[in-house]
Amino acid sequence: MTDPNAPAVHARGVTRSYGTRTALDAVDLDLGPGVTGLLGRNGAGKTTLLRCLATDLEASRGELRLLGRDPRRAPERTEIRRRLGYLPQNPEFYPHFTAFGLVDYVAVLKEMGGRRERHDEVRRSLDRVGLYDRRHSRVRRLSGGMRQRLGLACALLGDPELLLLDEPTIGLDPEQRIRFRSLVSEMATRSTVVLSTHQIEDVAALCRRVVCLDRGRVVFDGTPGDLVERAKGRVWVQRERPREGVTTWRLADGRYRVLTPGETGSSAAEGGRVGVEPTLEDAYLLLTGVERNAR
Amino acid sequence: MTWHLTPAQVHAYASHAVDDVTAMSVEAHLMHCAPCRTLVPADQEWIDRSWADLRDVVDRPRPHPVERLLRALGLRDGTVKLLAATPRLYRAWLVSTVFVLVCALFAAHALPKGSLVFFLTAPVVPLAGVALAYGRGVDPAHTLTSITPMAGQRLLFLRTCAVLVPAVALCTLAALMMPSPTTPWTAVFWLLPSLTLVAGSLVLCRWVHLSLASGAVGLLWLVSLAVLGSADHTTPLSVVAPHTQPWWATALAALTGMLLLRLRVRTT
Repeated sequence: MTDPNAPAVHARGVTRSYGTRTALDAVDLDLGPGVTGLLGRNGAGKTTLLRCLATDLEASRGELRLLGRDPRRAPERTEIRRRLGYLPQNPEFYPHFTAFGLVDYVAVLKEMGGRRERHDEVRRSLDRVGLYDRRHSRVRRLSGGMRQRLGLACALLGDPELLLLDEPTIGLDPEQRIRFRSLVSEMATRSTVVLSTHQIEDVAALCRRVVCLDRGRVVFDGTPGDLVERAKGRVWVQRERPREGVTTWRLADGRYRVLTPGETGSSAAEGGRVGVEPTLEDAYLLLTGVERNAR
Repeated sequence: MTWHLTPAQVHAYASHAVDDVTAMSVEAHLMHCAPCRTLVPADQEWIDRSWADLRDVVDRPRPHPVERLLRALGLRDGTVKLLAATPRLYRAWLVSTVFVLVCALFAAHALPKGSLVFFLTAPVVPLAGVALAYGRGVDPAHTLTSITPMAGQRLLFLRTCAVLVPAVALCTLAALMMPSPTTPWTAVFWLLPSLTLVAGSLVLCRWVHLSLASGAVGLLWLVSLAVLGSADHTTPLSVVAPHTQPWWATALAALTGMLLLRLRVRTT
Protein backbone atom coordinates (compact mmCIF):
# COMPACT_ATOMS: atom_id res chain seq x y z
CA MET A 1 0.00 0.00 0.00
CA THR A 2 1.21 3.52 -0.70
CA ASP A 3 0.42 6.56 1.38
CA PRO A 4 -0.42 9.60 -0.80
CA ASN A 5 0.77 11.95 1.96
CA ALA A 6 4.09 10.18 2.45
CA PRO A 7 7.23 12.24 1.82
CA ALA A 8 8.91 11.60 -1.51
CA VAL A 9 11.95 10.30 0.35
CA HIS A 10 11.74 8.55 3.70
CA ALA A 11 15.02 7.10 4.95
CA ARG A 12 15.67 5.58 8.36
CA GLY A 13 19.11 4.23 9.23
CA VAL A 14 20.02 3.83 5.58
CA THR A 15 23.49 2.36 5.35
CA ARG A 16 25.44 1.39 2.26
CA SER A 17 28.76 -0.41 2.39
CA TYR A 18 31.24 -1.35 -0.32
CA GLY A 19 33.08 -4.30 1.19
CA THR A 20 34.52 -3.02 4.45
CA ARG A 21 34.09 0.67 3.56
CA THR A 22 30.90 2.34 4.72
CA ALA A 23 29.85 5.03 2.23
CA LEU A 24 26.54 5.85 3.94
CA ASP A 25 26.18 5.43 7.66
CA ALA A 26 22.69 5.31 9.22
CA VAL A 27 21.21 8.22 7.27
CA ASP A 28 17.79 9.50 8.40
CA LEU A 29 15.97 11.82 5.99
CA ASP A 30 12.47 12.91 5.06
CA LEU A 31 12.29 15.00 1.90
CA GLY A 32 9.22 16.67 0.44
CA PRO A 33 8.50 19.19 -2.33
CA GLY A 34 11.08 21.91 -2.94
CA VAL A 35 14.82 21.86 -3.55
CA THR A 36 17.09 20.20 -1.02
CA GLY A 37 20.81 20.85 -1.40
CA LEU A 38 23.16 18.01 -0.65
CA LEU A 39 26.58 19.27 0.37
CA GLY A 40 29.75 17.50 1.38
CA ARG A 41 33.34 16.94 0.37
CA ASN A 42 34.36 14.47 -2.29
CA GLY A 43 33.77 10.99 -0.91
CA ALA A 44 31.31 12.20 1.74
CA GLY A 45 28.62 9.89 0.37
CA LYS A 46 26.52 12.29 -1.72
CA THR A 47 26.63 10.26 -4.92
CA THR A 48 26.01 7.00 -3.05
CA LEU A 49 22.96 8.54 -1.39
CA LEU A 50 21.65 9.82 -4.73
CA ARG A 51 22.20 6.43 -6.35
CA CYS A 52 20.24 4.78 -3.54
CA LEU A 53 17.44 7.33 -4.05
CA ALA A 54 17.60 6.70 -7.80
CA THR A 55 17.11 2.92 -7.22
CA ASP A 56 20.49 2.34 -8.88
CA LEU A 57 21.96 0.98 -5.63
CA GLU A 58 20.28 -1.00 -2.90
CA ALA A 59 20.85 0.06 0.70
CA SER A 60 22.80 -2.54 2.70
CA ARG A 61 20.71 -1.84 5.81
CA GLY A 62 17.90 0.43 6.94
CA GLU A 63 14.49 1.40 5.67
CA LEU A 64 14.06 3.41 2.47
CA ARG A 65 10.75 4.40 0.91
CA LEU A 66 10.59 6.47 -2.26
CA LEU A 67 7.34 8.11 -3.38
CA GLY A 68 5.62 5.93 -0.78
CA ARG A 69 7.01 2.69 -2.21
CA ASP A 70 9.65 0.15 -1.30
CA PRO A 71 12.46 0.08 -3.91
CA ARG A 72 13.53 -3.43 -2.88
CA ARG A 73 10.38 -4.94 -4.42
CA ALA A 74 10.66 -5.20 -8.20
CA PRO A 75 7.10 -4.06 -9.15
CA GLU A 76 7.27 -1.12 -6.72
CA ARG A 77 10.75 -0.22 -7.97
CA THR A 78 9.42 -0.09 -11.52
CA GLU A 79 6.62 2.20 -10.36
CA ILE A 80 9.13 4.50 -8.62
CA ARG A 81 11.23 4.62 -11.79
CA ARG A 82 8.23 5.76 -13.81
CA ARG A 83 8.06 8.89 -11.65
CA LEU A 84 11.77 9.52 -11.20
CA GLY A 85 14.33 11.68 -13.00
CA TYR A 86 18.04 11.28 -12.39
CA LEU A 87 21.00 13.15 -13.76
CA PRO A 88 24.11 11.17 -12.80
CA GLN A 89 27.50 12.73 -12.19
CA ASN A 90 29.42 12.93 -15.49
CA PRO A 91 26.76 11.18 -17.56
CA GLU A 92 27.94 9.25 -20.60
CA PHE A 93 25.97 8.80 -23.78
CA TYR A 94 25.97 6.91 -27.07
CA PRO A 95 28.14 9.28 -29.15
CA HIS A 96 26.66 8.43 -32.55
CA PHE A 97 23.06 9.09 -31.49
CA THR A 98 21.54 12.48 -32.26
CA ALA A 99 20.36 14.60 -29.32
CA PHE A 100 16.76 13.90 -30.31
CA GLY A 101 17.44 10.18 -30.82
CA LEU A 102 19.10 9.84 -27.42
CA VAL A 103 16.34 11.59 -25.47
CA ASP A 104 13.77 9.63 -27.47
CA TYR A 105 15.57 6.38 -26.61
CA VAL A 106 15.44 7.25 -22.89
CA ALA A 107 11.77 8.22 -23.30
CA VAL A 108 11.06 4.75 -24.70
CA LEU A 109 12.86 3.23 -21.72
CA LYS A 110 10.66 5.39 -19.50
CA GLU A 111 7.67 3.72 -21.14
CA MET A 112 6.30 6.89 -22.69
CA GLY A 113 3.74 5.49 -25.07
CA GLY A 114 2.42 6.89 -28.35
CA ARG A 115 5.04 8.01 -30.82
CA ARG A 116 3.57 11.49 -31.38
CA GLU A 117 3.13 12.24 -27.67
CA ARG A 118 6.60 10.88 -26.92
CA HIS A 119 8.19 13.00 -29.63
CA ASP A 120 6.35 16.07 -28.31
CA GLU A 121 7.70 15.39 -24.83
CA VAL A 122 11.23 14.93 -26.22
CA ARG A 123 10.98 18.28 -28.02
CA ARG A 124 9.62 19.97 -24.91
CA SER A 125 12.44 18.55 -22.81
CA LEU A 126 15.12 19.62 -25.30
CA ASP A 127 13.55 23.07 -25.49
CA ARG A 128 13.57 23.45 -21.71
CA VAL A 129 17.33 22.93 -21.58
CA GLY A 130 17.97 25.09 -24.66
CA LEU A 131 19.01 22.27 -26.99
CA TYR A 132 16.05 22.27 -29.37
CA ASP A 133 18.09 23.91 -32.12
CA ARG A 134 20.75 21.20 -31.77
CA ARG A 135 18.29 18.29 -31.76
CA HIS A 136 19.67 16.77 -34.94
CA SER A 137 23.34 17.10 -33.89
CA ARG A 138 25.25 13.96 -33.00
CA VAL A 139 26.11 13.68 -29.31
CA ARG A 140 29.83 13.50 -30.11
CA ARG A 141 29.59 16.96 -31.70
CA LEU A 142 28.11 18.57 -28.59
CA SER A 143 30.27 20.48 -26.10
CA GLY A 144 30.65 19.36 -22.46
CA GLY A 145 28.04 21.86 -21.28
CA MET A 146 25.61 20.77 -23.97
CA ARG A 147 26.04 17.13 -22.99
CA GLN A 148 25.32 18.08 -19.41
CA ARG A 149 22.12 19.76 -20.57
CA LEU A 150 21.30 16.70 -22.65
CA GLY A 151 21.50 14.59 -19.50
CA LEU A 152 19.22 17.09 -17.80
CA ALA A 153 16.75 16.82 -20.70
CA CYS A 154 16.65 13.04 -20.16
CA ALA A 155 16.06 13.56 -16.42
CA LEU A 156 13.23 16.03 -17.02
CA LEU A 157 11.26 13.70 -19.31
CA GLY A 158 7.70 13.30 -18.11
CA ASP A 159 7.94 15.90 -15.32
CA PRO A 160 9.22 13.51 -12.62
CA GLU A 161 7.90 13.79 -9.07
CA LEU A 162 11.35 13.07 -7.67
CA LEU A 163 14.24 14.74 -9.49
CA LEU A 164 17.78 13.84 -8.47
CA LEU A 165 20.62 15.97 -9.81
CA ASP A 166 24.24 15.05 -9.19
CA GLU A 167 26.58 17.97 -9.93
CA PRO A 168 24.26 19.35 -12.62
CA THR A 169 26.01 22.68 -13.21
CA ILE A 170 29.44 21.31 -14.09
CA GLY A 171 30.45 22.76 -17.46
CA LEU A 172 27.60 25.27 -17.66
CA ASP A 173 28.42 28.91 -18.42
CA PRO A 174 26.86 31.65 -16.21
CA GLU A 175 23.95 32.21 -18.61
CA GLN A 176 23.13 28.50 -18.73
CA ARG A 177 23.44 28.29 -14.96
CA ILE A 178 20.81 31.01 -14.53
CA ARG A 179 18.58 29.14 -16.95
CA PHE A 180 19.18 25.94 -15.00
CA ARG A 181 18.22 27.65 -11.73
CA SER A 182 15.04 28.96 -13.25
CA LEU A 183 14.19 25.49 -14.55
CA VAL A 184 14.87 23.77 -11.24
CA SER A 185 12.92 26.32 -9.21
CA GLU A 186 9.98 25.85 -11.58
CA MET A 187 10.22 22.06 -11.19
CA ALA A 188 10.39 22.46 -7.40
CA THR A 189 6.89 23.94 -7.26
CA ARG A 190 5.47 20.48 -7.91
CA SER A 191 8.35 18.04 -7.41
CA THR A 192 10.90 17.01 -4.83
CA VAL A 193 14.31 18.01 -6.13
CA VAL A 194 17.57 16.83 -4.56
CA LEU A 195 20.58 18.76 -5.77
CA SER A 196 24.05 17.45 -4.97
CA THR A 197 26.68 20.06 -5.69
CA HIS A 198 29.89 21.79 -4.76
CA GLN A 199 28.53 25.09 -6.09
CA ILE A 200 27.46 26.83 -2.89
CA GLU A 201 25.95 29.72 -4.84
CA ASP A 202 23.52 27.30 -6.50
CA VAL A 203 22.47 26.05 -3.08
CA ALA A 204 22.09 29.62 -1.79
CA ALA A 205 19.97 30.55 -4.81
CA LEU A 206 17.74 27.48 -4.96
CA CYS A 207 17.50 25.49 -1.77
CA ARG A 208 15.23 25.95 1.16
CA ARG A 209 16.86 23.07 2.93
CA VAL A 210 20.46 21.91 3.14
CA VAL A 211 21.75 18.49 4.13
CA CYS A 212 25.49 18.17 4.75
CA LEU A 213 27.18 14.80 4.67
CA ASP A 214 30.56 13.94 6.11
CA ARG A 215 32.01 10.42 5.98
CA GLY A 216 28.57 9.04 5.13
CA ARG A 217 26.76 10.67 8.06
CA VAL A 218 24.38 13.61 8.12
CA VAL A 219 26.21 16.37 10.03
CA PHE A 220 23.72 19.15 9.32
CA ASP A 221 20.09 19.22 8.24
CA GLY A 222 18.31 22.57 8.20
CA THR A 223 17.75 25.77 6.25
CA PRO A 224 20.59 27.71 4.62
CA GLY A 225 19.84 30.46 7.19
CA ASP A 226 20.40 28.01 10.07
CA LEU A 227 23.72 26.98 8.59
CA VAL A 228 24.85 30.59 8.19
CA GLU A 229 23.75 31.34 11.76
CA ARG A 230 26.18 28.73 13.05
CA ALA A 231 29.06 30.63 11.45
CA LYS A 232 28.26 34.02 12.98
CA GLY A 233 31.15 35.53 14.92
CA ARG A 234 33.64 33.14 13.33
CA VAL A 235 34.47 34.93 10.10
CA TRP A 236 36.99 37.77 9.99
CA VAL A 237 38.91 39.99 7.66
CA GLN A 238 42.44 41.09 8.67
CA ARG A 239 45.61 42.62 7.22
CA GLU A 240 48.25 40.20 8.54
CA ARG A 241 48.57 36.60 7.45
CA PRO A 242 46.94 34.60 10.25
CA ARG A 243 48.54 31.85 12.30
CA GLU A 244 48.57 28.24 11.07
CA GLY A 245 45.63 25.95 11.64
CA VAL A 246 42.78 28.14 10.44
CA THR A 247 41.07 28.30 7.06
CA THR A 248 42.07 31.46 5.26
CA TRP A 249 42.51 32.95 1.82
CA ARG A 250 43.84 36.20 0.43
CA LEU A 251 41.24 38.62 -0.88
CA ALA A 252 41.59 40.85 -3.94
CA ASP A 253 42.32 43.91 -1.73
CA GLY A 254 45.29 42.18 -0.08
CA ARG A 255 43.56 41.38 3.21
CA TYR A 256 42.87 37.86 4.50
CA ARG A 257 39.48 36.26 5.12
CA VAL A 258 39.77 34.01 8.16
CA LEU A 259 37.43 31.30 9.39
CA THR A 260 38.04 30.39 13.00
CA PRO A 261 36.57 27.32 14.64
CA GLY A 262 35.14 27.79 18.12
CA GLU A 263 35.67 31.56 18.44
CA THR A 264 32.92 34.11 18.79
CA GLY A 265 32.65 37.85 18.15
CA SER A 266 34.13 38.84 21.56
CA SER A 267 37.62 39.37 20.11
CA ALA A 268 36.45 41.34 17.10
CA ALA A 269 39.00 44.11 17.38
CA GLU A 270 42.07 41.92 18.16
CA GLY A 271 45.02 42.28 15.81
CA GLY A 272 43.20 44.69 13.54
CA ARG A 273 40.76 42.07 12.45
CA VAL A 274 37.17 42.89 11.71
CA GLY A 275 34.24 40.50 12.06
CA VAL A 276 32.14 40.16 8.91
CA GLU A 277 28.81 38.54 8.04
CA PRO A 278 29.38 34.93 7.08
CA THR A 279 28.23 33.57 3.75
CA LEU A 280 26.80 30.12 3.13
CA GLU A 281 30.20 29.10 1.76
CA ASP A 282 31.91 30.20 5.01
CA ALA A 283 29.39 28.23 7.02
CA TYR A 284 29.87 25.15 4.85
CA LEU A 285 33.66 25.38 5.12
CA LEU A 286 33.46 25.76 8.89
CA LEU A 287 31.17 22.76 9.11
CA THR A 288 33.13 20.37 6.93
CA GLY A 289 36.65 21.74 7.01
CA VAL A 290 37.70 23.82 9.97
CA GLU A 291 35.75 22.01 12.63
CA ARG A 292 37.24 18.72 11.61
CA ASN A 293 40.76 20.11 11.33
CA ALA A 294 40.38 21.50 14.82
CA ARG A 295 39.44 18.16 16.37
CA MET B 1 -5.39 45.35 -50.00
CA THR B 2 -8.32 47.08 -51.66
CA TRP B 3 -11.10 44.64 -50.90
CA HIS B 4 -12.26 42.30 -48.16
CA LEU B 5 -14.46 39.25 -47.97
CA THR B 6 -18.10 39.85 -47.21
CA PRO B 7 -19.78 37.79 -44.46
CA ALA B 8 -21.77 35.99 -47.15
CA GLN B 9 -18.59 35.00 -49.01
CA VAL B 10 -17.00 33.80 -45.78
CA HIS B 11 -20.07 31.73 -44.95
CA ALA B 12 -20.16 30.22 -48.43
CA TYR B 13 -16.43 29.37 -48.26
CA ALA B 14 -16.66 27.89 -44.76
CA SER B 15 -19.59 25.69 -45.74
CA HIS B 16 -17.82 24.49 -48.92
CA ALA B 17 -20.49 26.10 -51.11
CA VAL B 18 -18.11 27.88 -53.50
CA ASP B 19 -16.53 26.59 -56.69
CA ASP B 20 -12.81 25.72 -56.87
CA VAL B 21 -11.75 28.97 -58.54
CA THR B 22 -13.52 31.11 -55.94
CA ALA B 23 -12.13 28.95 -53.12
CA MET B 24 -8.56 29.47 -54.44
CA SER B 25 -9.19 33.20 -54.72
CA VAL B 26 -10.55 33.36 -51.15
CA GLU B 27 -7.59 31.34 -49.81
CA ALA B 28 -5.09 33.56 -51.65
CA HIS B 29 -6.73 36.57 -50.01
CA LEU B 30 -6.84 34.96 -46.56
CA MET B 31 -3.09 34.28 -46.74
CA HIS B 32 -2.44 38.02 -46.66
CA CYS B 33 -5.42 39.45 -44.76
CA ALA B 34 -5.53 38.93 -40.99
CA PRO B 35 -8.90 40.73 -40.44
CA CYS B 36 -10.65 38.41 -42.93
CA ARG B 37 -8.99 35.34 -41.38
CA THR B 38 -10.69 36.18 -38.08
CA LEU B 39 -14.08 35.97 -39.85
CA VAL B 40 -13.55 32.36 -40.94
CA PRO B 41 -14.78 29.97 -38.24
CA ALA B 42 -12.01 27.61 -37.19
CA ASP B 43 -11.71 24.56 -34.94
CA GLN B 44 -8.61 25.66 -33.04
CA GLU B 45 -8.18 22.28 -31.37
CA TRP B 46 -8.22 20.54 -34.75
CA ILE B 47 -5.75 23.08 -36.16
CA ASP B 48 -3.38 22.62 -33.21
CA ARG B 49 -3.58 18.84 -33.48
CA SER B 50 -3.04 18.88 -37.23
CA TRP B 51 -0.14 21.26 -36.88
CA ALA B 52 1.46 19.08 -34.21
CA ASP B 53 0.99 15.99 -36.43
CA LEU B 54 2.49 17.78 -39.39
CA ARG B 55 5.40 19.09 -37.35
CA ASP B 56 6.16 15.61 -36.07
CA VAL B 57 6.21 14.18 -39.59
CA VAL B 58 8.52 16.94 -40.84
CA ASP B 59 10.72 17.20 -37.77
CA ARG B 60 11.25 13.63 -36.53
CA PRO B 61 14.50 11.89 -37.52
CA ARG B 62 14.29 9.62 -40.53
CA PRO B 63 13.74 6.05 -39.30
CA HIS B 64 16.57 3.55 -39.76
CA PRO B 65 15.84 0.86 -42.41
CA VAL B 66 15.82 -1.76 -39.64
CA GLU B 67 13.17 0.29 -37.81
CA ARG B 68 11.03 0.41 -40.95
CA LEU B 69 11.38 -3.34 -41.41
CA LEU B 70 10.45 -4.12 -37.79
CA ARG B 71 7.48 -1.74 -37.94
CA ALA B 72 6.30 -3.47 -41.10
CA LEU B 73 6.43 -6.76 -39.16
CA GLY B 74 3.90 -5.26 -36.75
CA LEU B 75 6.09 -4.72 -33.69
CA ARG B 76 5.21 -1.94 -31.25
CA ASP B 77 6.92 1.41 -31.73
CA GLY B 78 8.87 1.34 -28.44
CA THR B 79 10.08 -2.22 -29.03
CA VAL B 80 11.11 -1.30 -32.58
CA LYS B 81 13.12 1.64 -31.27
CA LEU B 82 14.97 -0.45 -28.69
CA LEU B 83 15.63 -3.38 -31.02
CA ALA B 84 16.83 -1.19 -33.87
CA ALA B 85 19.11 0.89 -31.65
CA THR B 86 20.91 -2.06 -30.04
CA PRO B 87 23.11 -3.24 -32.95
CA ARG B 88 24.18 0.38 -33.43
CA LEU B 89 25.37 0.36 -29.80
CA TYR B 90 27.58 -2.62 -30.58
CA ARG B 91 28.93 -1.76 -33.99
CA ALA B 92 32.46 -2.79 -32.96
CA TRP B 93 31.17 -6.22 -31.91
CA LEU B 94 29.37 -6.68 -35.23
CA VAL B 95 32.53 -5.80 -37.16
CA SER B 96 34.57 -8.26 -35.04
CA THR B 97 31.94 -10.95 -35.59
CA VAL B 98 32.22 -10.57 -39.35
CA PHE B 99 36.01 -10.65 -39.07
CA VAL B 100 36.04 -13.83 -36.94
CA LEU B 101 33.60 -15.61 -39.24
CA VAL B 102 35.57 -14.66 -42.35
CA CYS B 103 38.73 -16.04 -40.69
CA ALA B 104 36.86 -19.25 -39.75
CA LEU B 105 35.63 -19.62 -43.34
CA PHE B 106 39.11 -19.02 -44.68
CA ALA B 107 40.47 -21.70 -42.33
CA ALA B 108 37.72 -24.14 -43.37
CA HIS B 109 38.58 -23.72 -47.03
CA ALA B 110 42.36 -23.56 -46.73
CA LEU B 111 43.30 -25.99 -43.92
CA PRO B 112 42.80 -29.78 -43.72
CA LYS B 113 40.74 -29.71 -40.51
CA GLY B 114 39.83 -26.05 -40.80
CA SER B 115 36.07 -26.54 -40.45
CA LEU B 116 36.75 -27.37 -36.81
CA VAL B 117 37.53 -23.67 -36.22
CA PHE B 118 34.06 -22.67 -37.36
CA PHE B 119 32.27 -25.20 -35.17
CA LEU B 120 34.29 -24.08 -32.18
CA THR B 121 33.71 -20.36 -32.68
CA ALA B 122 30.16 -20.22 -34.09
CA PRO B 123 28.41 -21.00 -30.76
CA VAL B 124 30.60 -18.47 -28.93
CA VAL B 125 30.02 -15.55 -31.33
CA PRO B 126 26.42 -14.82 -30.22
CA LEU B 127 27.51 -15.34 -26.62
CA ALA B 128 30.12 -12.59 -26.98
CA GLY B 129 27.44 -10.23 -28.28
CA VAL B 130 25.16 -11.04 -25.35
CA ALA B 131 28.05 -10.44 -22.92
CA LEU B 132 28.29 -6.89 -24.25
CA ALA B 133 24.55 -6.31 -24.41
CA TYR B 134 23.80 -4.99 -20.97
CA GLY B 135 25.36 -3.86 -17.74
CA ARG B 136 27.71 -1.45 -16.07
CA GLY B 137 31.09 -1.29 -17.73
CA VAL B 138 29.91 -2.48 -21.16
CA ASP B 139 27.07 -0.01 -21.76
CA PRO B 140 28.41 3.56 -21.77
CA ALA B 141 25.04 5.06 -20.88
CA HIS B 142 24.19 2.47 -18.26
CA THR B 143 23.84 5.09 -15.50
CA LEU B 144 21.11 6.78 -17.55
CA THR B 145 19.30 3.64 -18.63
CA SER B 146 19.60 1.58 -15.44
CA ILE B 147 17.11 3.73 -13.52
CA THR B 148 14.34 3.56 -16.11
CA PRO B 149 11.28 1.30 -15.74
CA MET B 150 12.47 -0.86 -18.64
CA ALA B 151 15.86 -1.51 -17.03
CA GLY B 152 16.69 -4.96 -15.75
CA GLN B 153 15.29 -8.18 -17.18
CA ARG B 154 13.09 -6.59 -19.84
CA LEU B 155 15.85 -4.49 -21.37
CA LEU B 156 18.31 -7.36 -21.02
CA PHE B 157 16.05 -9.77 -22.94
CA LEU B 158 15.21 -7.20 -25.59
CA ARG B 159 18.87 -6.41 -26.18
CA THR B 160 19.72 -10.10 -26.17
CA CYS B 161 17.17 -10.65 -28.95
CA ALA B 162 18.55 -7.66 -30.84
CA VAL B 163 22.08 -9.09 -30.62
CA LEU B 164 21.11 -12.72 -31.26
CA VAL B 165 19.30 -12.08 -34.52
CA PRO B 166 22.25 -10.55 -36.44
CA ALA B 167 24.71 -12.95 -34.78
CA VAL B 168 22.71 -16.05 -35.69
CA ALA B 169 22.04 -14.71 -39.19
CA LEU B 170 25.74 -14.08 -39.80
CA CYS B 171 26.74 -17.49 -38.41
CA THR B 172 24.10 -19.22 -40.53
CA LEU B 173 25.32 -17.42 -43.62
CA ALA B 174 28.88 -18.46 -42.84
CA ALA B 175 27.75 -22.04 -42.17
CA LEU B 176 26.14 -22.23 -45.60
CA MET B 177 29.41 -21.14 -47.17
CA MET B 178 31.37 -23.95 -45.53
CA PRO B 179 33.11 -26.41 -47.92
CA SER B 180 31.47 -29.75 -48.81
CA PRO B 181 30.60 -32.32 -47.57
CA THR B 182 28.76 -29.99 -45.14
CA THR B 183 25.08 -29.92 -46.06
CA PRO B 184 22.77 -27.05 -45.15
CA TRP B 185 21.24 -29.29 -42.48
CA THR B 186 24.51 -30.30 -40.78
CA ALA B 187 25.77 -26.75 -41.16
CA VAL B 188 23.35 -25.49 -38.50
CA PHE B 189 24.15 -28.10 -35.83
CA TRP B 190 25.99 -25.37 -33.94
CA LEU B 191 22.72 -23.44 -33.47
CA LEU B 192 21.21 -25.32 -30.52
CA PRO B 193 24.48 -25.36 -28.53
CA SER B 194 24.82 -21.65 -29.24
CA LEU B 195 21.33 -20.81 -28.00
CA THR B 196 21.84 -23.06 -24.97
CA LEU B 197 25.04 -21.22 -24.05
CA VAL B 198 23.21 -17.88 -24.34
CA ALA B 199 20.31 -19.10 -22.21
CA GLY B 200 22.81 -20.45 -19.65
CA SER B 201 24.54 -17.09 -19.36
CA LEU B 202 21.17 -15.31 -18.94
CA VAL B 203 20.20 -17.69 -16.13
CA LEU B 204 23.58 -17.24 -14.48
CA CYS B 205 23.42 -13.42 -14.67
CA ARG B 206 20.91 -13.38 -11.87
CA TRP B 207 23.84 -13.86 -9.51
CA VAL B 208 26.83 -12.38 -11.39
CA HIS B 209 27.41 -9.62 -13.98
CA LEU B 210 26.26 -10.64 -17.45
CA SER B 211 29.75 -10.30 -18.94
CA LEU B 212 31.18 -12.55 -16.24
CA ALA B 213 28.35 -15.06 -16.70
CA SER B 214 28.89 -15.16 -20.47
CA GLY B 215 32.65 -15.43 -19.97
CA ALA B 216 32.22 -18.37 -17.59
CA VAL B 217 29.83 -20.19 -19.94
CA GLY B 218 32.12 -19.55 -22.93
CA LEU B 219 35.10 -20.85 -20.98
CA LEU B 220 33.16 -23.96 -20.00
CA TRP B 221 32.41 -24.57 -23.69
CA LEU B 222 36.05 -24.24 -24.70
CA VAL B 223 37.25 -26.45 -21.83
CA SER B 224 34.70 -29.13 -22.81
CA LEU B 225 35.98 -29.04 -26.37
CA ALA B 226 39.57 -29.30 -25.18
CA VAL B 227 38.71 -32.32 -23.00
CA LEU B 228 36.90 -34.03 -25.88
CA GLY B 229 39.80 -33.24 -28.18
CA SER B 230 42.34 -34.79 -25.87
CA ALA B 231 40.34 -37.99 -25.29
CA ASP B 232 41.16 -41.07 -27.39
CA HIS B 233 37.82 -41.99 -28.90
CA THR B 234 36.13 -38.62 -29.34
CA THR B 235 36.66 -35.40 -31.27
CA PRO B 236 35.52 -31.89 -30.39
CA LEU B 237 33.04 -32.10 -33.25
CA SER B 238 31.11 -34.84 -31.45
CA VAL B 239 29.64 -32.13 -29.21
CA VAL B 240 27.62 -30.82 -32.18
CA ALA B 241 26.95 -34.26 -33.69
CA PRO B 242 23.36 -35.13 -34.74
CA HIS B 243 22.79 -37.53 -31.81
CA THR B 244 23.60 -34.75 -29.28
CA GLN B 245 20.96 -32.38 -30.67
CA PRO B 246 18.06 -33.74 -28.56
CA TRP B 247 20.18 -33.18 -25.43
CA TRP B 248 20.90 -29.62 -26.45
CA ALA B 249 17.20 -29.07 -27.18
CA THR B 250 16.25 -30.42 -23.73
CA ALA B 251 18.80 -28.21 -21.99
CA LEU B 252 17.64 -25.18 -23.96
CA ALA B 253 13.99 -25.85 -23.08
CA ALA B 254 14.83 -26.19 -19.38
CA LEU B 255 16.88 -22.99 -19.30
CA THR B 256 14.23 -21.07 -21.25
CA GLY B 257 11.63 -22.30 -18.76
CA MET B 258 13.74 -20.99 -15.88
CA LEU B 259 14.07 -17.62 -17.59
CA LEU B 260 10.34 -17.33 -18.23
CA LEU B 261 9.61 -18.30 -14.66
CA ARG B 262 11.99 -15.63 -13.41
CA LEU B 263 10.37 -12.99 -15.62
CA ARG B 264 6.94 -13.96 -14.34
CA VAL B 265 8.01 -13.85 -10.70
CA ARG B 266 9.57 -10.39 -11.10
CA THR B 267 6.57 -8.84 -12.80
CA THR B 268 3.97 -10.05 -10.29
